[in-house]
Amino acid sequence: MAVIRDVMPAFELFQPTSVEAAQAVLDRYGAGAWVLAGGLDSLDWLKDRIRRPQAVVDLGAIAELKGIRERDGGLEIGAMTTLTEVVRHPGVRERYAILLEAAEAAASPQIRNQATIGGNVSQDARCWYYRAGWPCYRAGGNICYADTPDAINREHAILGADRCVAVNPSDTAPALIVLDAQMVIRTAGGGERVVSAEDYFVGPGIDITRMTVLEPGALLTAIRLPRTWAGAQFYFEKIRDRQVWDFALVSVASAMTTSGSTIERIRIAVNGVAARPLRLRAVEAVAEGRPRNEATAVVAANLAVEGAQPLGFNAYKVPLMRNLVKRAIRGVEAAAWTS
Amino acid sequence: MSLSRRNFIKGVIAGGAAASSAAYLFRGAGSLFGQTSAPGSVERLLSLTVNGQTRRVDVLKQETLAMTLRYKLGLTGTKIGCDRAECGACTVLIDDVPHYSCSVLTHTVRGRRIVTIEGLEGPGGVLHPVQQAVVDEQGFQCAFCLPGFVMAAVGALKTNPNPTREELAHAVSGNLCRCQDYDKILTSLLRGAEYMRRTT
Amino acid sequence: MDILTWGRNPWDQPVLTHISWNLLWAALFAGLAFLVAHASYMIFSAHRKRHAAETDAMEIARADLPDRIVRHSLPARLFHWLMAAAMFTLLITAFLPVVGLRFPWVTWHWIAGLTLTGSILFHIIHATVWLDFWSIWVGPRDLPELRAELLRDLGHDVPGPRPGKYPLGNRLYHLAIVVVALVAVVTGLCMMVRIRTPFFTRNPYLFSDTTWGVTYVDHGLAGVTLVGLVIAHVYFAARPEKWWITKAMILGWITRRQYLEHHDPDRWAVRQLPTPNSATPNSTTPNSGLASPTL
Ligand SMILES: Cc1cc2nc3c(=O)[nH]c(=O)nc-3n(C[C@H](O)[C@H](O)[C@H](O)COP(=O)(O)OP(=O)(O)OC[C@H]3O[C@@H](n4cnc5c(N)ncnc54)[C@H](O)[C@@H]3O)c2cc1C
Ligand code: HEM
Ligand code: FES
Ligand code: FES
Repeated sequence: MAVIRDVMPAFELFQPTSVEAAQAVLDRYGAGAWVLAGGLDSLDWLKDRIRRPQAVVDLGAIAELKGIRERDGGLEIGAMTTLTEVVRHPGVRERYAILLEAAEAAASPQIRNQATIGGNVSQDARCWYYRAGWPCYRAGGNICYADTPDAINREHAILGADRCVAVNPSDTAPALIVLDAQMVIRTAGGGERVVSAEDYFVGPGIDITRMTVLEPGALLTAIRLPRTWAGAQFYFEKIRDRQVWDFALVSVASAMTTSGSTIERIRIAVNGVAARPLRLRAVEAVAEGRPRNEATAVVAANLAVEGAQPLGFNAYKVPLMRNLVKRAIRGVEAAAWTS
Repeated sequence: MSLSRRNFIKGVIAGGAAASSAAYLFRGAGSLFGQTSAPGSVERLLSLTVNGQTRRVDVLKQETLAMTLRYKLGLTGTKIGCDRAECGACTVLIDDVPHYSCSVLTHTVRGRRIVTIEGLEGPGGVLHPVQQAVVDEQGFQCAFCLPGFVMAAVGALKTNPNPTREELAHAVSGNLCRCQDYDKILTSLLRGAEYMRRTT
Repeated sequence: MDILTWGRNPWDQPVLTHISWNLLWAALFAGLAFLVAHASYMIFSAHRKRHAAETDAMEIARADLPDRIVRHSLPARLFHWLMAAAMFTLLITAFLPVVGLRFPWVTWHWIAGLTLTGSILFHIIHATVWLDFWSIWVGPRDLPELRAELLRDLGHDVPGPRPGKYPLGNRLYHLAIVVVALVAVVTGLCMMVRIRTPFFTRNPYLFSDTTWGVTYVDHGLAGVTLVGLVIAHVYFAARPEKWWITKAMILGWITRRQYLEHHDPDRWAVRQLPTPNSATPNSTTPNSGLASPTL
């Protein structure tokens, strides 16, 4: 899509000051409404004229969605808290440093100053065929342009593809899964629903046109970090082409507790390999109770990529993911890169 | 405020730029002069605090801050490179924090303090230390990216006045230079940090 | 109400993508409305049935017939139920996600689709080789029967022809199902080229965008039509006065009385088999005294 540099097509702009008022507008405009957080995903769609909402609902004036609070010995992060605020928060730094690393790895400084954590986990796929406005499955059509014999699909999925091969672009997502974060949702009916970060994301098999469980009219209000993994040993690594702006080719996040050299508990998730961030439960199961060494890391890493189905240009993601899982489990110094 | 010759010329140029580009840029924007309002939606007329001045502007709901600054307020020092949050040319400070003004709806910054490259200079046209450093070091080639880099650096120096070269590089990593002049840009920005520490 | 959904392909041409899921609700509504309409008609109408005395007389006249008459052979019944299972799986996997119950449906869908395709192939061969192939079809020669049935439905006592093995309604239904299911199967098989299966390399560019659009729309149209048809089918199978037909699809046979009451023995002639021990009216062993009609 050619970049258009004039003003977007007209829409109504609402700046409600409460979640209820925001949902009333969403209800009034139905499919014609668009939720705006930091706008760094939203505005691309609107500028490119691919989405043409009648009404945009800016959540920026809703005070209850902002800021980081202590809650039940953990933290509650308002959905409209910016990534920079997350990075700078002392509680995050002390107990949930992996979220800091992940948020700091996203996009660029100016984007982090404005992008919200709620928007980061709710952002749409970056598959460029989809973003160009082509009628692919995700856009409601009946084809995946990225999974054709001559498609350019270097950034696409190696796991869990079901017709659509787009990947989830969020850097905070795998970190939140590892921390067992709880996503607080206000449903369109006004009720509160809490789902774990792992279940917040959906793959194309379940819903090919959405990235999350958010139904139209629902809002993510907060993300709760429970005590469970506070202060654990964390590992986060994001591999990308340029160190700024670029989305993860593959990223890995893990939290573990050890006793002596034995892995007691571990949680590990990857992103950039499937349409949703993947928690690697099988890897967790084999690693738990084993010594934290090269042998365990190799077994776990091989298990992690089992069933991978690379496309024309993304086979490199298989060894990349394997190595990242290995490094997450073994630690950086000792884990040898293999291909 | 005494109207200096320089400011007067600037005003005339800016006014001309605003008038001539508006018709072109806002043509696809629907009924520019007749945009109706749904009940409960924002008022088009708003007050913006830009470079210490309160300016009344008529802003389309879908207008970005970069557009308002350049084509409504005549502040063309803020550049638009990509219009997609991918280059940094449009960087301005909002409440002292660097933002891409191409990716901010003007209506979302009502009541906040906006500073553009034009707002850096002190009374009597004294350059900001970072600007002065850029002049002294001749940090840029074509300098299209300059305003963005300077604003990003000025913003970063507010939270970290004494950055290492690496820290400052990280702070301005959201700005691209088409002339690939990064090394000299960093040197001049670091010099700017030094000037700032000296002046305070 | 939208009936079809459109998109613009990379060459900015309008292309069909799917049917609108409004049609699913329309089909559900149509199926249920038909059900309600028919049920109320059956309750309030003067539907003419053969008098019991008439059937009594025929039974005496044809006492030579065994008391159980084979209607569906075991393979035929197995096919029917296998096909029904496949059909229900297809409907459920296709439409539950549409109405909001989401799960990874595509793999189950195409597996059921292949099962359906296989059982249909089997059925065609079986019916051609072993059954009276033409007994299920409708043609101009059925017009008198149609007229008689309609008149009976309107409460008239008419002599007109009685059906052979399959009542006219059954045959009309079969025709509709053949057309619609074949559309679903043929389009569905084509659509398998778009998804990942173990059989071949996907090739989404096998057809042009336009052809694919039409394929998806036809598949969808056939799908929602089947919703209506299946509702009607299940409804009739469950109706008390049709229950004997349903039972025959389970057990395989009908009684002599049912045979005589509902069929024209000339159009569905029962081939008399030599039965070693003549059946007693209360016989409980299903296989004793069975007569095999020409199937
Ligand atoms: C050039 C560029 C590079 C980037 N690189 C990266 C990267 O490397 N890693 C990364 O993780 N991200 C990256 N991003 C994305 C960016 O980090 C944003 O965080 C993210 O896309 C959206 O956050 P936002 O607050 O701007 O939300 P918006 O763009 O306003 O919203 C995003 C989506 O979520 C919905 N939404 C937002 N908030 C809520 C809510 N509370 N409830 C319900 N729905 C909501 C919106 O309707 C919209 O559909 C990049 C973006 C750009 C433009
Ligand atoms: C007979 C009952 C059937 C019904 C009711 C049915 C219904 C549907 C529906 C509603 C869809 C979604 C179509 C769309 O997205 O526009 C679909 C998709 C599909 N069907 Fe069927 N179908 C049937 C039979 C079959 C058969 C026999 C096959 C294959 C052998 C098949 C293979 C497929 C495939 C592969 C898709 C997925 C295509 C895609 O999403 O790209 N279907 N079906
Ligand atoms: S113009 Fe705003 S970042 Fe490029
Ligand atoms: S100096 Fe030319 S773009 Fe940076």
